[in-house]
Amino acid sequence: MENKQELILHLKEQIIKQLKLEDKKPEDIGDHAPLFVEGLGLDSIDALELIVLLQQEYNIKLRNAEEGQDVFRSVSTMADYILAHSS
Amino acid sequence: MSSVFIHSTYAVSPQLSFDTLLANPEQYKGERFSCKEPDYTKHIDPKLIRRMSRIIKMGTAAAMECLLAAQEKSPDAIVTGTAYGCLADTDQFLTRLVEFKEELLSPTAFIQSTHNTVGAQIALQLKCHKYNNTYVHRGASFEAAMLDALSLINEGDAEKVLVGGVDEIIEHSHAILRRFDLYKTDGSSETLIGNATPGTMVGEGAAFFLLDQNKQANAMAKLDAVQTFYKPTGAITALIESFLAGQEVYVNDIDLVITGHNGDVRHNGHYDHIARSLFANQPAITYKQYCGEYPTSSAFALWLASNILSTGKVPGNTAAASPKKILIYNNYKLNYPSVYLLSAC
Repeated sequence: MENKQELILHLKEQIIKQLKLEDKKPEDIGDHAPLFVEGLGLDSIDALELIVLLQQEYNIKLRNAEEGQDVFRSVSTMADYILAHSS
Repeated sequence: MSSVFIHSTYAVSPQLSFDTLLANPEQYKGERFSCKEPDYTKHIDPKLIRRMSRIIKMGTAAAMECLLAAQEKSPDAIVTGTAYGCLADTDQFLTRLVEFKEELLSPTAFIQSTHNTVGAQIALQLKCHKYNNTYVHRGASFEAAMLDALSLINEGDAEKVLVGGVDEIIEHSHAILRRFDLYKTDGSSETLIGNATPGTMVGEGAAFFLLDQNKQANAMAKLDAVQTFYKPTGAITALIESFLAGQEVYVNDIDLVITGHNGDVRHNGHYDHIARSLFANQPAITYKQYCGEYPTSSAFALWLASNILSTGKVPGNTAAASPKKILIYNNYKLNYPSVYLLSAC
């Protein structure tokens, strides 16, 4: 597994691709910026896409829906979750 | 059914615009036409665009531009006709279904793969919570939508109805359909009509119309009547004559006939027979050299006719100058004959 900073950059690229954020570049997404409402302005359908991304790319399943609120708070929290749950 | 007025229309099609079509139509080679897509950011909320596949963007942009031309923000109903629906999303969803063994499916592609997505996205854009329906009836999909729109107006359920026809080509659908020997491999839009070889050129497009019960100052045309006959058993010439008689119109009253000739030698005889039998003295033009053949192509023909009546200009070489009454006849795969009668306002 790559280190956290590499993982954050990789995650940003994957988020842009998965959510078709074609007008965004990785540097446009702050590591700690909120993904939903403010920041990137993602919505509930995007949350489902991010769950699919975690499962597809990192083989990680969220244990429950409430967990998503913390995991998807920012790219940094996503990276922490992936690092903590990677086998 | 009483007539209604076409207040405005807009098409995303293989042609850039009616003006360009008159002066310098886009030409295509090979098996297929491809839509000239506009700058969607002018018509669609940028936050919504990223999730939309091509046909959704085409349909939504055509609808928005149509409403803009009429300065209408909220029609009483939105009715859409499509044979294939949102193929790109369906393709993506089904491909992932197979590749990921029915797990890890993208919710966006699933949500947007249904046939009514175009109508739904238009409603979302407009925040329009009124009647919204989509008809999926193969080669009569646009006609079914149009008949519903006319019924809504005639029965007093709506005054202004946004109605449209949309269909797209994607690589997979084209690869499947071409196996049925439907298309020319060396086609040319310039020589498509009257071509003596089997097959046509496949097309696509999205055309929307704002129908209005009342005539507004800038109405483009009057739609007198529409009829479709699924797999008719009788002579089609008799059905067209009966359709015209129902409108108390004589053949000689028609200034221009627009036919659905598609360049397939197996279909030419059908259209030629009708032209010879019924409209020998009427100027006639074809339209599939501009948009190709697809199940809802009659929406493009209606867009063309509305513009002809509105501007008095007829594309191609024809003796028809400023026609006042136009008949459109199309017969998709020779199973879905449909006729439209329009008049100048």
